[in-house]
Amino acid sequence: MSEQSGIPGAGPGGTGGGAGTVTLVDQGNLGPRTAEGRGVFGAAGPPLRFLYGLVSKNFGALLLLLIVASIFGTFVQGGATLMGNQIKNALVLGAIYALVAIGYTMVYGIIELINFAHGDVFTVSGFYAVFIANTLHLNQLATSSGGGLLLALVIVFPLSMLAAGLTGMAIEFVAYRRLRDAPRLAPLITAIGVSFLIEGVMLVREGPDYVTTGQASWINGTAFTIGKVSIGYTDIFVVGTALFLMFALGAFVQRTRLGKAMRSTAQDRTAALLCGININRTISATFFIGSALAAAAAVIYSINYGDLKWNIGFRLGIIAFTAAVLGGIGNIVGAGVGGFLIGLIYVFGGSLLGGEWSEALIFAILVLILTFRPVGLFGVEVSTRA
Amino acid sequence: MRKRFAAFVSTVPPGGPASAGTGVFWILAATASGFLIIGWLLPWFVGPYDAGVGFSAQDALISPPTGVGTFLIYILAVAMVVLLLSPLAEVVMRLRGRPFGPRADRIRLYLGLAGVVLTGVVWLLYRVIQEEPLFGSVVPGEISDSAIWLTMYGFALAALVYGARKWVVARQTLAFGTALLPFGIFLPLMFHQAPDFLLWAAGSLAIYMLLALGLNVVVGFAGLLDLGYAAFFAIGAYACASFASPIHNIHWPLWILIFIGAAIASLFGAILGAPTLRLRGDYLAIVTLGFGEIIPDLATNNVFNLTGGPNGISGIDQPHWGFMDFSESPRWYYWSLLLVSIAVIILLRNIEQARVGRAWVALREDEVAAAATGINTTTTKLLAFAIGASVSGLAGAFYGSLVTVVTPDDFSFSVSIAVLSIVVLGGIGNIVGVILGAVILTFVIFWVLPNMDSWSTTLSSTVHIPALANINFSSYTYIIYGIALILMMLLRPGGLLPSRARRIELESAEESESLAAVQGIA
Repeated sequence: MSEQSGIPGAGPGGTGGGAGTVTLVDQGNLGPRTAEGRGVFGAAGPPLRFLYGLVSKNFGALLLLLIVASIFGTFVQGGATLMGNQIKNALVLGAIYALVAIGYTMVYGIIELINFAHGDVFTVSGFYAVFIANTLHLNQLATSSGGGLLLALVIVFPLSMLAAGLTGMAIEFVAYRRLRDAPRLAPLITAIGVSFLIEGVMLVREGPDYVTTGQASWINGTAFTIGKVSIGYTDIFVVGTALFLMFALGAFVQRTRLGKAMRSTAQDRTAALLCGININRTISATFFIGSALAAAAAVIYSINYGDLKWNIGFRLGIIAFTAAVLGGIGNIVGAGVGGFLIGLIYVFGGSLLGGEWSEALIFAILVLILTFRPVGLFGVEVSTRA
Repeated sequence: MRKRFAAFVSTVPPGGPASAGTGVFWILAATASGFLIIGWLLPWFVGPYDAGVGFSAQDALISPPTGVGTFLIYILAVAMVVLLLSPLAEVVMRLRGRPFGPRADRIRLYLGLAGVVLTGVVWLLYRVIQEEPLFGSVVPGEISDSAIWLTMYGFALAALVYGARKWVVARQTLAFGTALLPFGIFLPLMFHQAPDFLLWAAGSLAIYMLLALGLNVVVGFAGLLDLGYAAFFAIGAYACASFASPIHNIHWPLWILIFIGAAIASLFGAILGAPTLRLRGDYLAIVTLGFGEIIPDLATNNVFNLTGGPNGISGIDQPHWGFMDFSESPRWYYWSLLLVSIAVIILLRNIEQARVGRAWVALREDEVAAAATGINTTTTKLLAFAIGASVSGLAGAFYGSLVTVVTPDDFSFSVSIAVLSIVVLGGIGNIVGVILGAVILTFVIFWVLPNMDSWSTTLSSTVHIPALANINFSSYTYIIYGIALILMMLLRPGGLLPSRARRIELESAEESESLAAVQGIA
């Protein structure tokens, strides 16, 4: 997968997604950008603007420097064992963020909408998986033998991914489709509405506390140890599944007809329509795939951590969205890489500053990225943007 | 049919004054009906049905006539039923193409006036003369006074709405204020027998209304979606808590603190706004969301030992001036909040119509064109953020003093969304709409939902469906916010009372679309 294998041209401020933006006219199309050029930093004079440009251009390097420094700090603090364990934790967490981030990035790429409900699709599909496993008594099956575990995974993954995919398609059909050509803020507000609706339903159904899923015991045992760091089968399973799904998705988007349709719809919806692509079906498929990946993430989350909560997807969703923005929104590979980077920042920032600061740190990173480099690390610098 | 209905509900009279429209007329008519119903049923709602008698008109209706009062009740019942059904009848008749004439309005005016007078007479009979045969044994201190005041207010409102229909339609905002301001002012007196809970709810309503008014500046006037609005609320509340509590041993009066809260919040608004103003709508939304998550996190983590950690700050001072003891009754909070709200509303309305307000609208509609006409986009956007945040900070200071304890959990994302729901429900960019949205949503969240639990228990024992009793309705708030947001955006994107600009925009959507197409080609 090359770097270009994402949905190209679909970053922020790409084409306006066809005609019909009624009030908030996309400024990308409108001639010289003199007005935009003088932001606060422009008005504040050359030194600040220079500094801004410096940070903006080297944002990736600065971030990497930060990550390396924090890893080193952890090493100084707790030695190689702590560092190794934290790297393992970061990869596991990053794999989950990456899978969720891909859903955000695909949807943003194709209809330029921040799908707020995506994080809640993650939670709800986790509960689907719990429901499936409990109904079919998979917990006993999975813990009985190796073959049973394989069978349970083969049952639980496709079923919960299918259910989540259908949920995502339903959300798109009910809440977003009619607003596709409405002013920008309208679908964003319905997205928040859908998110709250799902959270509310889960709050009513599952109660306000953590729910133990019983899937934590599915996979256990230590695969091997590096130094004093023991790598469990679960860790390998989580990262392996995530990587497999990401590569499968990359191949799908690159090789298949539907993937091509997605890329062209993301580039220019009107032109894709003129070429005979069924836009509605393509967008539905995008939602299906994104939600299915979120479901996979939820299942591995549940297998790894063993519990779920009604609103767990909200913050996880924002963090995953940060990962998507970090990788350049609309760029699938970027989302994958961004997920792992965010995992590193989350874990090592938490280990240095204290765990209660992890999330605040991620949100601060989000604000910083959007301020200094809205196109993300792998996005192309477009002067008409931001 | 649908088109005719839409035209009937929301058309702006051509050439009418800036605030003209039938929206407020229908809302006031509905409010009058609502007051009549609630007034009539209040004894049944609030207390046990058979505890006292009071003005429970049902008793008088089902018992044989015993005195002159009973006949008054009969007349009042007829008047109430007519006034309740007439708006529905009017809608139906108008849809069938035969609208009511001025005579119907005149009849309803007289009915309303007669209702006011007769209710007064009933009050005299019951309260002053204590006519026993009519009402049985009168229990003083019963909820009934409120019922009578509500009924009177309902009749008076109906008389105003139908008697001065032309004025209500022509001067929407003025009519809205005139009709509901007395209710707001006299609420603590009208419900003097009610528990303080009602006033607490009214205080929350006022705080949410202030928040929604502030958010309306950012979202409605300037078109910038702010999803972290609760952060400024938190800043105001923590400012109040820090300067008026034992935690740092500072005890400043509330009247200074509301300005300090507003100032600090607006400073933060500007600080947040400055680097993010170059972002487009949805990115801005995400940045503000992140900011809104960071602030409670900072408070939870007790940054610089200022915020008291997850338990927050408690023991916040409640003012005490002369006979106004704020800790003794929430009514003082209620009145001061009302005063502040009115001041804020007038201020925001003037700002909206001033140069800045017009600049916001221009920015919202087309930033490049606005900049080309000489509007300084940076300062204009920053002003929107700062002013919106300052209202929120002010509300926060009041909130801290009202509840005397602030914790980080009070300012979670759901607060931001609750406020956004109010703005979206009422009408983005329209002050009257936002007030209406605040009233509706807080009524549902703070009164209907908590009461639904007891009602459903009663109902389940009556109709023998045990499942009803087990539903915990208070946990349905999220669902209500979600549905409100989705439905409003899908069905009536301008809100219940769309602002005039939005209304025109929505009506001429086809024209704008072709315009957008032309721009796309160019």
